[in-house]
Amino acid sequence: MAFLELDGLTRRFGGIVAVDNVTMSVAAGEVRAVIGPNGAGKSTLFNLITGVTKPTSGTVRFDDHALTGMSAYSVCQRGVSRTFQITALFPEMTARENVRLSAQARHARRWQPWGGGTVFADAEKHADVALERLGLTHVAYRPAGLLSHGDQRLLEVAMALAQQPRLLLLDEPTQGLSVEETEQAVDTLSSLLADGVMTVLLVEHDMEVVFRLAHMITVLHRGAVIADGTPDEVRSNEDVQRAYLGGLA
Amino acid sequence: MDFLGFLVTQCLNALSQAALLFFLGVGLTLIFGIMRIVNFAHGAFFMLGAYVGYSAVHVTGSFWASLIAAPLLVGAFGAAFELGILRQLYRRDHSAFLMVTFGLTLIMGEAIRLLWGVAALEVPAPKSLSGIVFILDEPFPIYRLFLIGAGIVVAIAIWQFLERTRLGLLIRATSQNAEMVHALGTDVRLVRSAVFGIGCGLAGIGGVFAAPLVTASLGMAPNAVIDTFVIVIIGGMGSFAGSLIGALLVAFVQVFGTYYFPDLALALMYLLMLAVLVIRPGGLLGKEA
Amino acid sequence: MAIKRNSLLFLAICVLALAPTGLPPYVMTLLTEALILGLCAMSLDLMVGYTRLLSFGHAAAYGLGAYAAGNLLLHTSIPLVFSVLLAALFSGIVAIGVAWVCTLASGVSFSMLTLAFAQLLYAVAFKWTSVTGASDGLAGIPRSPGPFGITFFQGRAGFYYLVLACLVAAFIFCRSLVQSPFGAVLRGIRENEAKTLSLGYNTRRYKIAVVAISFMLGGLAGALYAPFAGFTNTELLFWLFSGQVLIMVIVGGAGTLIGPVIGAAFFMLVSNMLSSWTDSWALFFGAIFILFVLFAPQGIWGLATRWRSLSSTG
Repeated sequence: MAFLELDGLTRRFGGIVAVDNVTMSVAAGEVRAVIGPNGAGKSTLFNLITGVTKPTSGTVRFDDHALTGMSAYSVCQRGVSRTFQITALFPEMTARENVRLSAQARHARRWQPWGGGTVFADAEKHADVALERLGLTHVAYRPAGLLSHGDQRLLEVAMALAQQPRLLLLDEPTQGLSVEETEQAVDTLSSLLADGVMTVLLVEHDMEVVFRLAHMITVLHRGAVIADGTPDEVRSNEDVQRAYLGGLA
Repeated sequence: MDFLGFLVTQCLNALSQAALLFFLGVGLTLIFGIMRIVNFAHGAFFMLGAYVGYSAVHVTGSFWASLIAAPLLVGAFGAAFELGILRQLYRRDHSAFLMVTFGLTLIMGEAIRLLWGVAALEVPAPKSLSGIVFILDEPFPIYRLFLIGAGIVVAIAIWQFLERTRLGLLIRATSQNAEMVHALGTDVRLVRSAVFGIGCGLAGIGGVFAAPLVTASLGMAPNAVIDTFVIVIIGGMGSFAGSLIGALLVAFVQVFGTYYFPDLALALMYLLMLAVLVIRPGGLLGKEA
Repeated sequence: MAIKRNSLLFLAICVLALAPTGLPPYVMTLLTEALILGLCAMSLDLMVGYTRLLSFGHAAAYGLGAYAAGNLLLHTSIPLVFSVLLAALFSGIVAIGVAWVCTLASGVSFSMLTLAFAQLLYAVAFKWTSVTGASDGLAGIPRSPGPFGITFFQGRAGFYYLVLACLVAAFIFCRSLVQSPFGAVLRGIRENEAKTLSLGYNTRRYKIAVVAISFMLGGLAGALYAPFAGFTNTELLFWLFSGQVLIMVIVGGAGTLIGPVIGAAFFMLVSNMLSSWTDSWALFFGAIFILFVLFAPQGIWGLATRWRSLSSTG
């Protein structure tokens, strides 16, 4: 039984099929990249898995529990954390407060309407660890809205990490980063994923990043899976070459 | 009273009510479609239209003249407000628009009270349209039939305006992709001012049409804005066809509802709004929740 | 900074506590009303300032509290303090249902639903004569003896202290709330609700809770108003009152708890000055409101704290 199992997942918007009968199995500890031209349905796929959008048909199973149809916050409580393609942060809170709020979500007394000393202290411990692992300790007390784009992307990853997820979904984490920033980000992610504890789904456009981080790759084109396998297999796949080089969506 | 006669007159009543609501709804939906803001003051512009219409009738002696003058004046005032004040807010979040237009409602309500006094104003319908006609042996006011006709004419006019004229095309384009329109050389800000003015003007003309029926009064504003909002929610924010359907639905619910449950008019509106928000947060034909 | 802020507050409370000893009765009446409105505005701040839930219907909370307290004081022998607290609780409980409905929507739709609910309540108040006295309202509301036969709260100074105590207690409660984990989530909802949801928080529940608390405290203000003025009427449910309270929050300074109280005082002061030569407070305050939203969205208190921190570092 795979850790994450998508079976015939489909999403239609009116006449458009954004995600077309996607079937995918991800093993525990695997880093799976999902690639494809723009409009291939990658972000929609993430939304389907995390409960932001309900599928038209098909199922999502995570660690042998059905996720299909669950609300976004419930899915997250199951141990699934994600980042967004368009940076989503709390701009007026400091970076540390951002991550603290994220860590707080996993605390048993996150809703406590008084005091909070222990809740905050626990959350801050996780926050500081996450900030350190992403190399953001030096900007911890700066308002998130004032961070550089690169640091903001990393902050989002830190927030996801602070929840100690079992499944991490990264939606174009290096989008908008300069070459150096990308290098650094990939180094950081590489070391984070080295212990193989987290299962990761990674949407990326930058193929260098993909080949450095991913164990397996799934290629989407117009919402459907056209290839699935190791990086070498995908690199030499003709359908993939055609989709990327000619007749793009 | 014969049931068929009753049914027909009530339906005609509802249609004339729908015409009024349509004037309000299409204006608000146009403004939302282009500017993504909800004009809280829409009910106040409606009220202003009624009062300006009243004065115009007294000054010119002609209902028809006021039908032209009032919406122009009200629309101009709306455009001026957008130019002067709303324009500063586009970079802020949407609650700022809501609050500012709420402030405008307060100001307009009070200004109207100062200029025209507290007493409800009687605006007589023009002689050619007063009186009644018999439909299936039931009396029915000619003015309401006129309203139905006016509603149809205005609906067609707006439809053609959006489809065929240059400004109409610009408006539709801006509602879909303002940046592209700007990149192609049009000053989007002017389009926005024009749209806000047109939207307010439509509310104003609704006020003039409504005045002979309801007698202009100060309590109009918040309830008018709730009614309009319900219409736009039902039909979907930014949808022309939706505001038509919404107006029809609300009018029929109001007319038949108040006949069978006279005390529950406002509650019915609220329930209708809730039902639509529960079923389809984006409205039935809308672009955006 | 926190110590300075707290001692400033303590000083303000002491000054307020001393008020009855020095001020003439007419000023005491105004001051009491200002504190009641301040409480109402502070309660709305929880929704508007801390969670960005823009409500145009807070008069509903005030009116519910006022009518509930009015009925309890007129028709039962429940002591004053308990009547007031029960009325507040009643508002809070009704609010859970209202909030459940209103939070089905968000953004503008939410705001319009709050307005619609308040309008509905206003219309109901006109019809339900037995409970609300229709357009005449309830009159002759007594300040019943307090619990255990205490008559202290019935007098002018005594009632003032009751109001002050309620305001201070509410402030302490609210401040503790916004600084708690619950409050941190509210802040998340305010800054980016979608993100907060994706972090695993059931934001709707938090919104319902904050609306209920907000209504409870707004209801407390209304419940204090009924025995204060001795009457209630439909004006308390009118949309213009909702507007007044919103103006107090924004002009005073949203998201600060203290700001709205200052806003209420400002509003009372200015409308009193205005009333001597014009009736058109709505015109004036509508304009002030727009000006603040445009140029000083952080409100009076926001400006004051900004100026203070600038001048201390500069």
